[in-house]
Amino acid sequence: MKNILTITRLTINEALARKNFIMFFIISTLVLLVILGVFVSTDIEELIGSIQLKGEKFHGDILSQLSQFFRLIIVMPLYAGGLFISIFSVSSFIPHLLEKGTVDIFLSKPISRPQLILGKYLGGIVVVLINVLYLVVGIWILTGWKFGNWDPAFLSTAFSITFAFSVLYALIIFIGILTQSSVLAMMLSYLIFFVLSPLLVNREKIAVFFGGKVLSVILDGLYYLIPQTSELGTITSRIAGADSIESFTPIYVSFAFIILVLAVSIIIFNKKDY
Amino acid sequence: MNVIEVNDVTKIYNGGIKTPKVTALKNLTLNVSEGTIFGLLGPNGAGKTTLIKILLGITFQTIGTAKILGQDISNYRVKSKVGYLPENHKFPPYLTGEQLLKFTAQLTGTYEKNVNKKIYELLDLVKMTKWGKTKIKKYSKGMMQRLGLAQALVNDPALIFLDEPTDGVDPIGRKEIRDILLDLKSRGKTIFLNSHLLSEVELVSDRVAILNKGQLIQEGTVEELTTAKEVYKITFDDELNNEQVNGFSDYSLKPEGNKSYSVKVSDPEKLNKLIDDIRKKNINIKSIVPLRKSLEDMFISLIKESDKENKKYFNNNG
Ligand SMILES: Nc1ncnc2c1ncn2[C@@H]1O[C@H](COP(=O)(O)OP(=O)(O)OP(=O)(O)O)[C@@H](O)[C@H]1O
Ligand SMILES: [Mg+2]
Repeated sequence: MKNILTITRLTINEALARKNFIMFFIISTLVLLVILGVFVSTDIEELIGSIQLKGEKFHGDILSQLSQFFRLIIVMPLYAGGLFISIFSVSSFIPHLLEKGTVDIFLSKPISRPQLILGKYLGGIVVVLINVLYLVVGIWILTGWKFGNWDPAFLSTAFSITFAFSVLYALIIFIGILTQSSVLAMMLSYLIFFVLSPLLVNREKIAVFFGGKVLSVILDGLYYLIPQTSELGTITSRIAGADSIESFTPIYVSFAFIILVLAVSIIIFNKKDY
Repeated sequence: MNVIEVNDVTKIYNGGIKTPKVTALKNLTLNVSEGTIFGLLGPNGAGKTTLIKILLGITFQTIGTAKILGQDISNYRVKSKVGYLPENHKFPPYLTGEQLLKFTAQLTGTYEKNVNKKIYELLDLVKMTKWGKTKIKKYSKGMMQRLGLAQALVNDPALIFLDEPTDGVDPIGRKEIRDILLDLKSRGKTIFLNSHLLSEVELVSDRVAILNKGQLIQEGTVEELTTAKEVYKITFDDELNNEQVNGFSDYSLKPEGNKSYSVKVSDPEKLNKLIDDIRKKNINIKSIVPLRKSLEDMFISLIKESDKENKKYFNNNG
C-alpha cells in the first residue's frame, strides 16, 4: 500500500508540474465567474415575478425550487465538461510512464508492476476529484448565496462525476498499456461518452427500429460491456435535483467494469518487455 | 559471495508483423562477485542492455534463471538495494536535479528527514551542486549523465548497474566518474558496467566479459584477457642484425622496436629452448615478458574470430 501511495503522490506532483491542474483550475474559475456574473445581474424578485406572469404556480419554498432548478440545468453541462477536461488531462499519464527511458526508471525500483498501475490509477482519480470538488463546491456556494439553499446533497455530485471518470480512466489505462497512445485512449473515451453510451441507453428503440433479435442481443451485450456513462450522468442529475435514484445497477456494473479492466491491464502489463 | 548469478539465460524478443524475432541472449551464464567492478563489453546490439534489463525486471528472460543479491530477480523488493543508470534515460524534464534525487529517494523507499543533506552530498560528488535548482530539460548531455550517476546512488545501493555511464561526458568528467567508481568499490559496492570505451573499462574493471550476438565469448580478469597466450617479448642489450634474427630456424622473431622482438612459442618448454639457443650465440637478454595487448586489440580480434566461427557454423548447417 505504501508503494501505491508513493506512486499516487508522484502522479499528483506530475499533474501539477505538467500544468494539468492549472488548466483545469483556470477553466473552472472561468465557469464560476460566468455564473457569478449571471447571478449578480439577475434580480430574484423580478425573476419570480416574470415566471408568475407566465402563469406558473409555485408551491412551498419558491427560492429552494429555483435553486434546485438552477442546479439541475447546470449539472449536465458540468458533468459533460468536467469529464471532458478530466479525460483530456489524464490520457497521457500511462503513455508518459511507458516512454522509453522513463519506464526503465520506474520498473527498476522496488515497486511491483501492479502497484505502479494502481498508484497511477489512484493518482488520476485524486487529481480529478480535487478539481471537480473545486467546481462543485464553487457552484454550491454561489447558489447557496443567491437562493439561500444550502442543501448538501448537491455536493455529492462531485463524487458521482469522479466515479464516472474513474470508469473511463480504467479504460484509458488499459488502452495506454496496450498501445501507448494517449490520442487513441482519449478518442475512445470520448466516443463512448458522447456517442456509444447515449446510443445504448436507447438500445431497445434501436433494436425495434431495425428489427432483428440478433441485433437486440448484441446491443444488450454492448450495453453491459461498455462503460455506462450516460446512466451515471442520469444518476448525477438526480442527485443534483435531490431526487431519489431509480436504479443502482449502473453503479454495480461500472464497479465490475473497473475491476475487470484494471485486472486485465495488470495481467498484460506484468508480462510486457520494455 | 556472488552478487549477480545468471544461469543459462536466453532472451528471444518476439518480433512483430514487420520485425523478425531477435535472440538477444543465448544460454548466458555469468557470475559477479561482491565488491568488484565488472565490465561487460560487446558491439552494438550484443545484448548488454538486455542483460541489465532482465536482471532488473524491465524485460523478462525467455529461458533460464538469475539472482541478484541472493534473491531471485522476480522478487521486486530486492531492488531497494540496487542503483541503476539506464542508457538513453529520460528523467522527468519538469524536475530540477535536486527534485529528481528526491523523487528517486521516494521511489526507492529511502526518503528521510535528512534527505536534503544526502542529496547535496551526491550533487557535490558528481560536481553538479550549482545546477541543483535548474530544471533537467536545461541540462547538457554530460550534465544529465552526471545527475544520472547521482540518482543511481541515492538509496546507497549495494549493487549498481551503469549502462554506458560516460556516454557524452568530457575527458575530465570521465576521469572523475572513474574515481567515483573506484571509491564506491573501496566501500564494498559491486558495480556492473556496460561500455564501449574499452580503455576505460580496462582502467577500472576487475573482471570483464565479452558478449557478441548474445553469446559470452570470453570472461576473465583484464590481465588474463589482455595477455596473449604464448607470445613473449624479448628485449636484448643491443639491436640484432638480420643474420641473428633469422638464425633461429624454429622460431620467428618479429621486431617490436627498441631492441625488442616478439616471438610465439607453443609451450614453455620451447621458450626455454629458445633461451638456450640465444645464450649459445652469446647474445645478452635483458628481459623476457609475456606480451600484453590492449583490451581493444584483443576485443577486435575476438569479435572477428567469433563472427568467423558463426559463419562457418551457418555454412555447415545451412
Ligand atoms: N524491446 C525490444 N524489442 C525487440 N528487440 C529488442 C528490444 N530491445 C533490444 N532488442 C534487440 O536485442 C538485441 C540486443 O539489444 P541490446 O540493446 O541489448 O544491445 P546492446 O548490447 O545494449 O547494444 P548497444 O551497445 O548499442 O547499447 C538487438 O538486436 C536489439 O535490436
Ligand atoms: Mg545498450
